[in-house]
Amino acid sequence: MEHAADNAREILEQAAAGYDGFVELRYHDKLTRSVAVEKGKVESTGQRSRMGVGVRVLAQGAWGLASTGALELGGIRRAVQQAHAAALAGAGMRKNKVQTPAAADLARGSFDQPGVDEILSRPLADKIALAMRIEEKIRGGAQAINSASCWYNEIFENKAIVTSDGASASFRLVRPEIRLSAIAEKDGELSTGNESFGVTGGWECLFRNGEGEYFADRAAKTATDLLGASGAEGGRATVILAPSIVGLLVHEAIGHTVEADFVLSGSVAAGKIGQRVASELVTLCDSGASEFYDGAGGTIPVDDEGVIAGKTEIIKEGILRSYLHNRESAAHFGVAPTGNARAWEYADQPLIRMRNTYMQPGTWSLEEMIATTQDGYLLEGPRNGQADATGEFMFGVQEARRIRDGKLSELVKGVTLSGIAFEVLGTVDAVSDTFKWDLGSGYCGKGQPAKVDAGGPYVRCRAVLGGAQ
Amino acid sequence: MEPKELLEICDRLIEQARSAGADEVEAVAASGRSVETHLEKNDIHIAQTGTETSFGLRVFCGERVGFVTANDVGERATAASAAEAIAQAHVSPPDPLAGLPDPEPVIEIPGMYREDLASLSVADTTRLAADMIARVSARDRRVNIDSGTLSVSVSSSAITSTRGVRASERETSADFYLFGMAVDGDDVASFDYDTETSRDRGALDDLFAQTADRFTDKCVAGLGARKGESFRGGVVLSPDAVFELIVPNLINAVCANSVRKGRSMLAEKLGHTIAAACFSLTDDATIPGGAGSSAFDREGVPTRRSSIVDAGVLRTFLWNHYEARAAGGDARSTGHASGGVGTLPGIGPSSLDVAAGETKFEDLLHPDSRTILVNRFSGSVNGVNGDFSGVVKNGALLGAGDPVAIKETMIAGNLFSLLKNISAMSRRRKTIGGTRTAPYIRVEDVSVTAG
Repeated sequence: MEHAADNAREILEQAAAGYDGFVELRYHDKLTRSVAVEKGKVESTGQRSRMGVGVRVLAQGAWGLASTGALELGGIRRAVQQAHAAALAGAGMRKNKVQTPAAADLARGSFDQPGVDEILSRPLADKIALAMRIEEKIRGGAQAINSASCWYNEIFENKAIVTSDGASASFRLVRPEIRLSAIAEKDGELSTGNESFGVTGGWECLFRNGEGEYFADRAAKTATDLLGASGAEGGRATVILAPSIVGLLVHEAIGHTVEADFVLSGSVAAGKIGQRVASELVTLCDSGASEFYDGAGGTIPVDDEGVIAGKTEIIKEGILRSYLHNRESAAHFGVAPTGNARAWEYADQPLIRMRNTYMQPGTWSLEEMIATTQDGYLLEGPRNGQADATGEFMFGVQEARRIRDGKLSELVKGVTLSGIAFEVLGTVDAVSDTFKWDLGSGYCGKGQPAKVDAGGPYVRCRAVLGGAQ
Repeated sequence: MEPKELLEICDRLIEQARSAGADEVEAVAASGRSVETHLEKNDIHIAQTGTETSFGLRVFCGERVGFVTANDVGERATAASAAEAIAQAHVSPPDPLAGLPDPEPVIEIPGMYREDLASLSVADTTRLAADMIARVSARDRRVNIDSGTLSVSVSSSAITSTRGVRASERETSADFYLFGMAVDGDDVASFDYDTETSRDRGALDDLFAQTADRFTDKCVAGLGARKGESFRGGVVLSPDAVFELIVPNLINAVCANSVRKGRSMLAEKLGHTIAAACFSLTDDATIPGGAGSSAFDREGVPTRRSSIVDAGVLRTFLWNHYEARAAGGDARSTGHASGGVGTLPGIGPSSLDVAAGETKFEDLLHPDSRTILVNRFSGSVNGVNGDFSGVVKNGALLGAGDPVAIKETMIAGNLFSLLKNISAMSRRRKTIGGTRTAPYIRVEDVSVTAG
């Protein structure tokens, strides 16, 4: 796949030149390699390759999409014709005609990201050995561990995007990621400890803190510690959220409600630009770049409409400032596109998606936050998360540490955290001065997956814990 | 591509892999053509056409395995993939259990391919989609379709192996999905969705119209919700919630790989009571024209009907070839090797059916004690120990009168306890997406927390 994207741009430009109207062509070669190790045994190794060109056409106020699995001018031109025919099929039925895509900072040139050659050239045997070593480390972490697993995955992306109104960009990037799991058993009770990390970047970036061994120990410890732990009491509580949970909060509970397509469908963020939606301690952004330090897992230099993927300040000091846009929604709202159009594979349509979403750090230390909490929980370790049109969110949390009289106390089993996003953000009364990207192995689902990252500081607020009555 | 052409691609892959040094080889190929129309914001969003042919190649060099999947089926590309798979196998540790199943007779399932469905164009799907938008709007203008898809696909698949497995099939399918919410002034209800699948062109319009009506009614039911109450007691799970909370996690616990890896609480429970006596669960991939039907699984093993839980008793685990070998004894693949050309064989069900109960649906809606109706469950379930906690979506407080919509309410408990606390199941059932059927299920002793 090396350097094919630059050649692809030339072919796409030829195909675009032959179409009288707006056309967007996207060459996407995605290569995924994975290794899975469990209970001391390699469960699987595999390689997945999907390559092709997606063509989107705007004709008579309607979109049409077609694709071809070959980078060949004749096939791409046929796909343009098919996309045009599909657009015309929709044009007669579409009530609100699509406006000309908003003017944007369109990308031209090559935008390669670091790490691709480094990971491509590293032998598969090294990656198998790595996964086996980490899995063994988890099993050796505690006597109660009866099963452990390590899954290593790397995604190479080679893209070229050309539009008839001026974008012509290409880039390569790589996203390695690791997921670990430990299962502990005692007297017929099973408990789990899960950890994961991932980056946009090379091997050195992935392991810059020696995180393989660190996370192996943590997974084993969590699984063991949770054996015999009691459940949380259900109800409203003061909670300190770790950066990974803050990441879930800003992604699920806020990020989705400010995606402009959701806004136009009536999400709770509709009509709230300029209004206070959070405590003044809250500043929240989404960026195509990896802010603070390199390697955030949702980094893209250019989005799939050819727009430079910049930084968007969604909430500034508690005031809602911006939605996340593609070129169509930006035209509707009369603003500049924010570079959030993303497609998972070549045959998929670009949708409005987040990239790296985060809350800005504040001024507190974590120790101060705990010491000034009389009764609450410190929540760490994200599981799944979902949010609703109402702003109601739900996150699974792996472990909750009780705080009593300003001190960390007993561990309780994983809980579900819920609340109404803007109400919860309104209760934020302390934000730590540290920052961490902590969802680098995360995928967002919205009809198609997207690699994203999220993070932030430690944040104290009030929300509802699901638990025993 | 026709099944015959896919078999030829598989044969070529096997020849190339054998020439490159493989001892045993399995090749799978799939080809599909689709036309679809996406909806967004109560309007047609984009019309789309697509075709793709792809393959998966599993090679065995002694006891070492390699796997490659790609969508370039040109001769040079498949040769390169064969070489890559073998290189992968050479650096993978040996696995004494690695191997392929022997061939068994595969019986074709009728009703899988319909020419009248295959002939639909993107103009047809767009017209149908526009009809559905109009139907939702006419039924209740407060409902916003956030997104949706109406698609028709024609697909073929084939598998061959050096053990002699050789099978192929062709199918058509129409799928409809709606996602959105009701908005009435400042009152925004929870998201809801509905979905339907059919292989029958003649039934399509009625089926999709019913889906649009159900979707609309579910969205509207969430308006005017008030905060719920905290208590410990009964909940009634809708068929959707049954398939969000109970069934997928139960299936996870009965997959043989979970059992082998120490990830199942049911590892020692075969033949034991794991649920109330009214609860029975089957999986059947052989239903004629069924949306989840297929004559053979990912390894070419014929599919079958499996009784998983019968009157509360766990009757079988789900096995693919590898896990059956790992289990030893009399274990045989149950035809549950899951996945497509893009993945190694996993384990999974095809078409799940929770048996109907004996309680009138209306009686479930009017309980004597404090009860909530859980229309959807948005939460997390620990797939290993069964602990669950999550938010009730489009829920309602049940009593003598009409259900009262509630919001910001959570439920928590343990799946394996919950199965034993089932106290009633409705006669009425609902099929979701053509592959999941269940009644409404009442469960006792669940923690309910209002925010």
